[in-house]
Amino acid sequence: MLKFILRRLGISFLVLWAASLLMYVLTINAGDPLADLRESNAENRDQLMALRVDQMGLDLPWYERYWDWLTGVAGCFTGSCDLGTTVNGANVLDLTAQSASSTLRLVTAATLLAIVVGIAAGIISAIRQYSGFDYSVTFLAFLFFSLPVFWAAVLLKEYGAIRFNDWIASGDMEPPMILGIALVVGVVIAAVVGGTWRRKIYTGAGTFAFVAVVLWVLNILDWYRNPFFGTAMVLLSSLGAAVLVTAIIAGLGNRRVLYAALTTAVVGTISYFVFAGPLLEPSSWWVLIGLFVLAVLVSVGIGAAWGGYARKQAMLISAITGVLTSLTIVFDILVGHWAGFLELKSRPISTIGSETPNFTGDFWESVLDSGMQLILPTIVLTLISVASYSRYTRSSMLEVMNQDYVRTARSKGLSERAVITKHAFRNALIPITTIVAFDFAGLIGGAVITESVFGWKGMGAMFREGLDRVDPDPVMAFFLVTGTAAILMNMLADIAYAYLDPRIRR
Amino acid sequence: MKIRRASAAVAAVATGALLLSACSSPASENEPESEETMAEETEGSAEPTDSCKVDTGVTETADGNISYSAGEVQWAGYNGNLPDTYSTYNSVINDRMFSGFMYFGTDGTICQDEEFGSFEAVSEDPLQVQYTISDDAVWSDGTPITYADYLLDWATQAVTTDGTISEDASETPLFNSVSGLTLGDYVPEGPQADSADAKTFQYDYERVYADWQLMVTSAFPAHVVADQAGVSLEELVTAIEELDMSVLEPAAEFWNTGWLSSTPGELPDPSIVPVSGQYTLKEDGWVAGQSLTLTANEEFWGTPPATKELTYRFAAADTHVQALQNGDLDVIEPQATVDTIPQLEQIGSSVTTLTGQTLIWEHLDYNFANGVFADNLAAREAFAYCVPRQKIVDDLIAPIDEGAVVMNAREVFPYQTEKYDEVTAESYDGRYDEVDLEMATEKFAEAGLEEGTEIRIGYSAPNPRRADEVAAIKSSCDQVGFNIVDAGNADFFAAGGALETGDWEIALFAWAGSGQIASGQNIYATDRPQNFGGYSNETVDEAWNTLASSVDESVHLEQTKIIEKELWDTLYGIPLFAHPGVVAHTSSLENVRFTAAQDGIVWNAEQWARAS
Repeated sequence: MLKFILRRLGISFLVLWAASLLMYVLTINAGDPLADLRESNAENRDQLMALRVDQMGLDLPWYERYWDWLTGVAGCFTGSCDLGTTVNGANVLDLTAQSASSTLRLVTAATLLAIVVGIAAGIISAIRQYSGFDYSVTFLAFLFFSLPVFWAAVLLKEYGAIRFNDWIASGDMEPPMILGIALVVGVVIAAVVGGTWRRKIYTGAGTFAFVAVVLWVLNILDWYRNPFFGTAMVLLSSLGAAVLVTAIIAGLGNRRVLYAALTTAVVGTISYFVFAGPLLEPSSWWVLIGLFVLAVLVSVGIGAAWGGYARKQAMLISAITGVLTSLTIVFDILVGHWAGFLELKSRPISTIGSETPNFTGDFWESVLDSGMQLILPTIVLTLISVASYSRYTRSSMLEVMNQDYVRTARSKGLSERAVITKHAFRNALIPITTIVAFDFAGLIGGAVITESVFGWKGMGAMFREGLDRVDPDPVMAFFLVTGTAAILMNMLADIAYAYLDPRIRR
Repeated sequence: MKIRRASAAVAAVATGALLLSACSSPASENEPESEETMAEETEGSAEPTDSCKVDTGVTETADGNISYSAGEVQWAGYNGNLPDTYSTYNSVINDRMFSGFMYFGTDGTICQDEEFGSFEAVSEDPLQVQYTISDDAVWSDGTPITYADYLLDWATQAVTTDGTISEDASETPLFNSVSGLTLGDYVPEGPQADSADAKTFQYDYERVYADWQLMVTSAFPAHVVADQAGVSLEELVTAIEELDMSVLEPAAEFWNTGWLSSTPGELPDPSIVPVSGQYTLKEDGWVAGQSLTLTANEEFWGTPPATKELTYRFAAADTHVQALQNGDLDVIEPQATVDTIPQLEQIGSSVTTLTGQTLIWEHLDYNFANGVFADNLAAREAFAYCVPRQKIVDDLIAPIDEGAVVMNAREVFPYQTEKYDEVTAESYDGRYDEVDLEMATEKFAEAGLEEGTEIRIGYSAPNPRRADEVAAIKSSCDQVGFNIVDAGNADFFAAGGALETGDWEIALFAWAGSGQIASGQNIYATDRPQNFGGYSNETVDEAWNTLASSVDESVHLEQTKIIEKELWDTLYGIPLFAHPGVVAHTSSLENVRFTAAQDGIVWNAEQWARAS
């Protein structure tokens, strides 16, 4: 395995180097770096031009310029990185670090969300092949896939930001709005659950009534402006999550696993009280990360203690429950800070930027501020990726479901849940892994338009500005990051293959 | 920051291809849009008639924040006079941090900033200008603004790397100033004063310079430079007077690099960036890629800024309209396209839109070097008679700015009403106002042109508005016998492009007026660098020489009339229109005033106030 990885790394390095050479030559020939000065009518135009030529080394042959750049990059291995400067004199290394972190913040949530939603939608539509739900997912997948980002972003800003902000000013849901939302949720749930028409109608009507009542009650309580969640709800939600996770992965019949998950949920809620101090006013992100790691470790421990014969599974499910409980707790804290946040920022969702300039809130209010700014671009990016994930998962799942061993599994009397999660799903994941890995690498460099329309300064902006001004340094820095990401992700996919498919290991 | 000789380059440096391409491409939204006649003022508040800043009655700074965005490009540094940093994006921020002797009014008039100081020509020939800085004027760290700052300002535009004063502005400058060495060329002796801390100093010009008023505006803090070079302020002054390179070299090193902010988000040490304007950098106010906030300068001696904080957000131009609607931005200068106006109107009364004409003007130029128009006045006239100027303005410009008119001059703009009327009355009789196909056909025959003579109209493509203009010309002029060809090309202005090789009959582009008086000499006089068509006319050359060597405004006006008349009679080219500009702001803001000058709408940002 190690030899395999090293060989892959070596080859990747050569590919990266050759590609960088090509990229450099293409970039410096992409236009006229003096174009703006050529059209200037300043008296000292020639001097300004000479200065720019000297600064950018325009009078040198391409291989010398490339060599200068390459030696600067090679310095990274000896601790003196030099990725050059932009035409405006900004340090490209710093710029890249900032852009990369901003892009990562933007795409991480979108990628995770897209994977979860896309794969779930794909599996369900495969299981319910040729149902109304399947057709709807297919239709939406093609719609999203062909969505022009620019147009979608403008629409989202109109409805997700401007109109939402107008609405939250009063926070009052009109009856048509309540009924509309309830109707949509009812129809979707009914379609997902499936079954006979009768069953669909019952689930649909039940969901509709439930959602409508909840929304109505929340409206009366002015919940949208002054929301609360409460520890009781945290406990209930985590217990619900524990049951759901167990039901899907292990089956409720497996009592040891179920008890492990339920214990995790309870312990998680209790620890909310224990760590209330650092949780409500954390000194930094590290405190939260530390607590999160601790939560996962404790969950795994609980799983191991309860596990018995199903130890491995109990540990996994406890860990998932632990993560979900942590998220619920964070949700509770955020809900508690919403009213204060609204006071600081009466229009919570801005159409541009990754945060509000000169925002003065405390830690969680700042989290809310940057979190709200993530919502719209994340939706755009997610929609696009979800489309392809759901399609790939669906076809790969369908293929697996028709294999002989799945029929064998069914005929030996396994429950449908066990057949799908244990036998079919894992094999269906193999081709998806490749796509996810490539997609993530692509998203880092490919969020160019999304970044620009939502006013995030990320890798895309750096690339575009560099190319516009025929300025090779930022373009090459972009290339280095995205190229390396592509290679690394590709390798991760290969390793994940080996994990998912034992045949490859041999 | 400074509005001076190189100012014409601002538009170019900042907007790339912009200067010569129209403003329909996304890259071009940041042209210094401007205007003086408010075509639309929904609030109905009386627009000040004075083109300079007027007293708004502000006596103290109100808490609050106003957001504005010029575009995506981040702040580059405190020294905005380096070739690297000199751009519209940087100027909109830096101009707020420095005050100086002059600024441009809403119609491009030169206004004196009386709170800062005053200047006057004590003698016109030889030209001697006396400057007086207000006694109260201090840097934000308490150091008085004095002669020393202006001596350094002069040195940055005069001293060469060899430790001499520039002879003809062609040497390598010691200080990397975007303005080059012109000032040293004209004033080799530098400003003279009694002492380093004098508030009055005098510039003695070696030869008369028509644009003398733009030469000296604001300055950088000499005491900071002295400190960084390891000497006292007096020692720096002496070093400049004696051209002591052992002091000037480290000083130049700091001036060239010490004020660059090469890592976005990291503000410079407050002690090296004192300001002389109403605003200063706010502590922790710069978030990389997001925004930069200025806060009121508490040491400012004059009228305080109306609102405490001014935030510049770095967002792409096409996001501005929605951001304004959502309250993320308070003032925007969107692209002046036909689509923008209805978009803004749709928002309703929460947003006020101002439109008007800018200092950028579009024109058709003939090729005198080769082709059918060279040496053939009748052919040029035939073309001029068939160009539908009124139709172009009505169809393409009036939907953006109702007040748009056909432009009939080159050196004055329609909104500079008085001067414009006086110049056009003498130079142009209105014969090309309307399309006259009969006259055109007559002239066509007189010129001895053949039916179907190919006329290539070159411009920098892609540019939808210019493509539309060419189409309008084609539909009219083809009837006369011309065969108009749309020769728009991305490389039209590039090295080796059509303009350089001469493969064009008509060039369609825009010049950005700079507020300078004599800059047109480079365009219309024989063998000048911007005289692309190779036009040559003795009367014009002579008039330009007279104009450029005088500081008398009546002489300027008289010579402008001669030049304009000759350019019309011999048909250098055909002016079309001044580009329209659009500004929109939250209706709760007061004192937002449209300007034709290239400073952009932020020119009076310190007067913007939120209605309480």
